Amino acid sequence: MIRSVLWRHFDFWLLGAIVFAVAFGVAMIRSAVAGNEEIAQSVTRQIQFGILGLIVIAIVTALDYRLWLNIHLVMYGVTMVLLIGIYISAQPQFGAARWFQVAGFFIQPTELAKVVEILILAWYFEKTKDQPRDLRWILGSLAWVWGLAIWIFLQPNLSNVIVMMVIWAAMIWISGIPVRYLAWGGIIALLGVVAAFPFLRDYQRDRILIFLFPDPNVTYGATYNVLQALIAIGSGGLLGAGYGHGTQVQLRFLKVRHTDFIFSAVAEEFGLLGALLVIALLVFIILRCLRAARLARDISGALIAYGVAVLIFFQGAVNIAVNLRLIPVSGLPLPFISYGGSGLVSLMLGIGLVESVVLRHKSLEF
Amino acid sequence: MNSVNGTRLFFDPRRMAVVYVMLFGVFLVMILRLVNLQVLQHLDWLGQAVENYTVIIRDPASRGIIYDRNGYVLARNAPAYHVVITPADLPDDPADVQHIYRELSALIGVPVNRGTVEDAKRIAPCVEGPGIVQLVALGESLAPYTPVRVKCYVEENIARIVRERAVDWPGVSIEVEPMREYPTGSLTATVVGFLGPIPAAFEAEYRAQGYVPGRDKVGYAGIELSMDALLLGKNGRRVIQEDVAGKVLRNLEPPIPPTPGYNVVLTIDTRLQAAAEAVLTNEIREWNEFFGEERITSGVVLALNPKTGEVLAMVSYPTYENNRMARFIPGYYYQQLSQDPRRPLLNHAISSEFPPGSTFKLATALGALNEGVITLGDTIQAPGQLILAEKFSPNDPGRERPFVDWVYELRGVINPQGFGTVDFLRCIAFSSNVCFYKLGGGYKDEIRQGLGIERLRQYARAIGYDQASGIALPGEQDGLIPTPQWKRINKGENWSTGDTYIASVGQGYVLSTPLQVLMSAMTIANDGKLMQPLIVREVRDSEGNVVEKWYDPLTGEITDTRSSPTSYRISPFTPTLKWDITRDPLIREYICEGPYCTETDNFKTVQPSVVQAVQDGLRLAVIENQGGLRRGTLNRVFTELVNLPIAVAGKTGTAEYCDDVALAKNRCRFGAWPAHSWTVAYAPHEDPEIIVLAFCYNGDEGASVAGPIVARVLQAYFEIKAIDLAASGGG
Repeated sequence: MIRSVLWRHFDFWLLGAIVFAVAFGVAMIRSAVAGNEEIAQSVTRQIQFGILGLIVIAIVTALDYRLWLNIHLVMYGVTMVLLIGIYISAQPQFGAARWFQVAGFFIQPTELAKVVEILILAWYFEKTKDQPRDLRWILGSLAWVWGLAIWIFLQPNLSNVIVMMVIWAAMIWISGIPVRYLAWGGIIALLGVVAAFPFLRDYQRDRILIFLFPDPNVTYGATYNVLQALIAIGSGGLLGAGYGHGTQVQLRFLKVRHTDFIFSAVAEEFGLLGALLVIALLVFIILRCLRAARLARDISGALIAYGVAVLIFFQGAVNIAVNLRLIPVSGLPLPFISYGGSGLVSLMLGIGLVESVVLRHKSLEF
Repeated sequence: MNSVNGTRLFFDPRRMAVVYVMLFGVFLVMILRLVNLQVLQHLDWLGQAVENYTVIIRDPASRGIIYDRNGYVLARNAPAYHVVITPADLPDDPADVQHIYRELSALIGVPVNRGTVEDAKRIAPCVEGPGIVQLVALGESLAPYTPVRVKCYVEENIARIVRERAVDWPGVSIEVEPMREYPTGSLTATVVGFLGPIPAAFEAEYRAQGYVPGRDKVGYAGIELSMDALLLGKNGRRVIQEDVAGKVLRNLEPPIPPTPGYNVVLTIDTRLQAAAEAVLTNEIREWNEFFGEERITSGVVLALNPKTGEVLAMVSYPTYENNRMARFIPGYYYQQLSQDPRRPLLNHAISSEFPPGSTFKLATALGALNEGVITLGDTIQAPGQLILAEKFSPNDPGRERPFVDWVYELRGVINPQGFGTVDFLRCIAFSSNVCFYKLGGGYKDEIRQGLGIERLRQYARAIGYDQASGIALPGEQDGLIPTPQWKRINKGENWSTGDTYIASVGQGYVLSTPLQVLMSAMTIANDGKLMQPLIVREVRDSEGNVVEKWYDPLTGEITDTRSSPTSYRISPFTPTLKWDITRDPLIREYICEGPYCTETDNFKTVQPSVVQAVQDGLRLAVIENQGGLRRGTLNRVFTELVNLPIAVAGKTGTAEYCDDVALAKNRCRFGAWPAHSWTVAYAPHEDPEIIVLAFCYNGDEGASVAGPIVARVLQAYFEIKAIDLAASGGG
């Protein structure tokens, strides 16, 4: 199977965009460290993760994506075990037990779970492609998703549950869910949000309330961080303060500037130009993934590429929207640019899958 | 499966279109938002970014020093030492930090661990309680580059030890805070005053001028208050860039260093002040011991140079210890002071009003002689008491009542004949009330036309009564010389003939501050020239150069040049003549008939010979002794108690009063009135260079209580003068 791969189909534009995004991210993280010794290691680590990610891309590209579909039960089981494992035994850190510390790196199974979800759903929707689009079909897909999502929900990590639900919704949409179910689903989701509000953790509720009713006088916490992000973005202007010269970044008024608010750091130091470049880069990557979906030789390949595109789009859009104070603070990183090893490697794993799909669209050639 | 252009499509193109619309829609919204933030609102956000890192530091100016006339320091700035820890500068190794804490704790006595960080949050800086760890943890979480005060106001030697160990103890240092110190303390507290925090009501005003409420202190009393604008100095201004942790990075603008306040030299001679205070407190203590109760509760001594108006000593008893207010104003101490019925926070010399009693006879005497009510050759019958009709209107037949002289009943003996026949000079010397009743209110055919209240008021005002002197101290009172109109408005009653009689001897509604009484005698002593009383001798900049400053008593403003007709020069030293009653037409003329006078628009001066005659009367009070009752009121003091080789002239006063204290003791009835004791005297008689006033609240007889105080202060003055002359090699 590997022998039959035509490497000339390899999407070098996509890989190039990824490499550029990661390199740009490393440069921004370097600037964002701004003398803070606690995060000084993140530049080296991000480079290591980037290299690891490239190896992952190479391996995953070389393997036929159908391999993952064939071992879907094993893959699903291992992921669930990992999620249960951190739910039960992981050390509590940053208020939630989301991390496994392995070999000095923080590995987050949740990040992996999102890619696994795409693979599982691709397998499911391909297997059921000829079934009627009825409630059974919908609930079946949901059951697969919630088998993983429940453990993330219990962590609790609401943001990533939402990411998983959005991936599910996007994939079931493209797989042809009837619009009336969609309407019902929308109503149920809305009711669910309203009903869930009293059961949210305090910090989650605060994030939403603070977004809806900001207090301009606070000097700490989520409102302060978002305000500092807006100041960073706004003060950047058209061309920015220049690399390493943004006062919000360099004097550390901008918090979590190497992860959640790295977009603001870019916007301050490179201005509107830099911000548009980041958006353009994301759009380009998403479009290349959707191109792969269009070229795919089978439904599962198309769904995998499409799912990865949705994952990148949703995480990127949420992150930038938080930076721009369009939605409440969520804690989702900016794909490929924010510091964060597991997120980066998982996304590059996704890119590897996309490349694997592109590489194997032989059936289109006659 | 759909198929377009030979390509198999797995996805419904319409559904895919929805995905694309969402994709581009979302990013379009973001781009619009970005353009809005980065292009349209750019300057607003840039301003906020600048505001984030810009900090304006107001380096405190050092407050001006207050000296006495001989250069003796009355108020200065002494360093207070605080042990501080800058969390960011501590070593990285927690074991090293603990080691430092333990050693520091042993030195300054603050425990390493006590309470929690939460406790530390609730406790103000400098209040003992939290341990070093808690204080530093709190400071580190707020601003790691801001020093945390671990122990305040440590001894100088501890500060020195901490500084010596700076190398071993990174992060630990000494913060020096200038603190006001008053070497003379309570001796000069009345004059010098004290400092306090910027009052909340004026915070905005002071902030606009670059002062920092909560840190910078302003004058609350005395010279510290009246000369505050000079003493304060100007805070520096540094615009610096700081990072989020408070670390100072660089100056954004050229820094402006603070300008120290002006130094103020007072006219006070601390030696005479000390002598005056000792004499006053000893006299009061002796009398109170004699009576076995705290009868005399407060007192004043003033010593001025009548030629220049300089205040050499100003003692108001009781007073307070201004050093106790140096760090902060302790609540219990301030409450104790403010609730003390003796009013130790008041400067009684200028802020309290009392009836002047017989010392006021100077005004009556001056007016009576100048208006021709009496001539120097006339004699007056001065029996022990006078039966006079109290009339409230021209047609009022009146009710007769006795107006007694102070000698009528003396130590249980009734003297119906009083002083007998006296002339004008002896009226003053013996301080005969009956004589002054007649001069002020007229008496039958003997004095057909008395001076009357309107004309008396003109002369009283001419020698300083009924108006603030304008001395450069806060809280001065006006005193009161009543008019018939004043009585109708304030008492709802017509002016009576009796009111004029008792006003003529400084009783009734007449009120004055001790400084006003002194000024009245000073005008006479200085041949009719009333000098502006001065408390500030000169103002110097921080380099010692004398600068020109003008003070306007109406507004309290201090300016570099003459700003208003009421302002006078306080620096360089300039004696300022307020007016000369023999030259300036200050006395409004009245046409009088009986007790009723009509005002005219003409003004006149006082004849120099009249001033001279009053001076002679004051001199006679010291030297006249015809035996028995016919003896000058100050003769005993200056012959038997203090025999000065210098000619002294003066006047006593025993001013009956009724206030809430006396009322409570049921003393406000005929024959039982309590009295304040007054004496004012100057020397040498021919060419006066010193005038001293003493006042004792509830001191009773002027000659026996206030008289000795004045005599001893005069003695002290001439002794100090002799010392100075010897020191300067003169003779």
